[in-house]
Amino acid sequence: MEQSALLVTLLAMLCVLLASGTWVGLTLVALAAVAIEIFASRSAGAPVATTLWSSSSTWMLSSLPMFVWMGDILFRTRLSEDLFRGLAPIMGRIPGGLLHTNVMGCTIFGSVSGSSAATLTTVGQMTLPELKKRNYPEHLTIGTLAGPATLGLMIPPSIIMIVYGVMTNESIAAINIAGILPGFVLAAMFTVYVIVAAKTDPTYKPVPEPATSWREKLSALWLLVPVHILLAIVLGSMFAGFATATESAALGVAGALGLAWWQKTLTWKNFVDSLMGATRTSAMIALILAGSAALSLAMGYTGLPNDLAQWVATFNLSAMGLLMALLLLYLVLGCFLDGISCVVLTIGIVEPMVRQAGIDMVWFGIFVVLVVELAQITPPVGFNLFVLQSMTGHNIFRIARWSFPMFMIMFIMVFVMIQFPGLATWLPSLMLPVTVQ
Amino acid sequence: MAGVRAANSSQHHALDKTWNRLDRLYLYSGYLAAVFLVLIFLTTMLQVASRLVGYNIRGLTDFAGYFMAASAFLAFAHTFNHGGHIRIELFLSMMGRFRTVAEWFSFLVAVATAGWLAWYAWSMVYWSYKLNDISQGLDATPIWIPQLSMAIGLSVLAVSVVDHTLRLILTGDHRLPTSPDAL
Repeated sequence: MEQSALLVTLLAMLCVLLASGTWVGLTLVALAAVAIEIFASRSAGAPVATTLWSSSSTWMLSSLPMFVWMGDILFRTRLSEDLFRGLAPIMGRIPGGLLHTNVMGCTIFGSVSGSSAATLTTVGQMTLPELKKRNYPEHLTIGTLAGPATLGLMIPPSIIMIVYGVMTNESIAAINIAGILPGFVLAAMFTVYVIVAAKTDPTYKPVPEPATSWREKLSALWLLVPVHILLAIVLGSMFAGFATATESAALGVAGALGLAWWQKTLTWKNFVDSLMGATRTSAMIALILAGSAALSLAMGYTGLPNDLAQWVATFNLSAMGLLMALLLLYLVLGCFLDGISCVVLTIGIVEPMVRQAGIDMVWFGIFVVLVVELAQITPPVGFNLFVLQSMTGHNIFRIARWSFPMFMIMFIMVFVMIQFPGLATWLPSLMLPVTVQ
Repeated sequence: MAGVRAANSSQHHALDKTWNRLDRLYLYSGYLAAVFLVLIFLTTMLQVASRLVGYNIRGLTDFAGYFMAASAFLAFAHTFNHGGHIRIELFLSMMGRFRTVAEWFSFLVAVATAGWLAWYAWSMVYWSYKLNDISQGLDATPIWIPQLSMAIGLSVLAVSVVDHTLRLILTGDHRLPTSPDAL
């Protein structure tokens, strides 16, 4: 009885505070304070402060600013130009033509950047004008950008996976590695879609690309080498157990700085801009995480998540039933909240249920990321839709309609993941543990 | 409200000057946070290097953790001032003339929460100092020293939230940019 009063109060408070525009991190702190003071009848200030300190000063969390900084440095290099100039001669003549540069560009950039919007802007700035010039139909150009850009969340390093790892106490490196195969499968599915769309869409009449010789193709490939070396360092060191997530992230920063220096784009201004950008982005995430730490503490006092898990258990849902319920929950939440807030708000409550159902937490992390990716292109609040709206001037509902085939592909991918869980769990099972800590 | 806005211009000038100074406070605090971010990078690289030569420096990961906290807390206000912290603006934009009421409400909640956090952060530092709390890790740092970053950062955040709330009340505009940096 008292638990349901608590649940209703907290949910009502959450809705009112979020809808009125209260900052997500502070909203969570306020909820925690109310839950502890009123429902657990204790003084909340001291324990919340201690929790904020201990959750924010963990070394595990420090992979976050490192990966963010790495992406921010690369964002300011010639990387996106090189990606396009390298990919265009290779992709130009196959069915779908330069539309493939959207998918491939997002796949590659997604693997150096941890966020979806950064991937979208970097790749889109380059491909959108070029594809328009060559008369590619706009609905395909924009649609095949909106979907694949979400690969930034799935292909490591991924900020949202770091957040998930910190919250569930699972290995950040393992979760990131787990994203590789599903990311590639998704990219392959997008590629197939591009080919099919190019063959069947009557409006698809681009200016044909000039034929390129093998020599030109090879020299174009050469442009893609540096970024792949960087990727090999970051993912390889993590996978081989040579470095922890934070260490490989720091190596990535060093590599990105080196790359920028080599390309002569490492000016003092670019350095400071990337550093301040990374500082703000990680502070933004840290505030939400701090709020969630406070809320988890409160939940621990009240025992709500366990009671909820037990309540859910009384329905005797199969693992599949639970996943479908959660899929629905995340799709609805994702309509109003950004990906990280979705994860932060729910994981504390969802984790006991999922563990109780015997679902692998690393696999579940990939599931959540995939579902959150879906939410990035659902109206009315999809971050990718907003970014594309400001880039192209089209209204978000039109962009959402154009991205709908991508939405369906990702939706199918959810079931592929459920059918073949090994996609996510196989690679992490091969990882070597980090020997020295 | 109109009466306040029509107040004499020298008063306005003084306000603008204060606001400029405060903006600089947030920015410098942000720069300091960025320095700590670089320190995370340097300690982590040092850790990798020391492992390569087979020598382990004690407590490096603990320091990386303190730098992480400092880099986050000290940047809160700067990020807030930059419109970087996440809030949902969808419903605000649908509220029409009730928007102002909702906006006031959200700012007042933020003032209460940030102020409350800052207060208890200082109290935590005080007790760590008083009880002579030492880090559990290998570094054996008196814990109140790194904890200062949290108290200072949250205090500057509280100041900036109060500051923008006053801007909202006095001028009807909280002057926070709307577009978030990244994500």
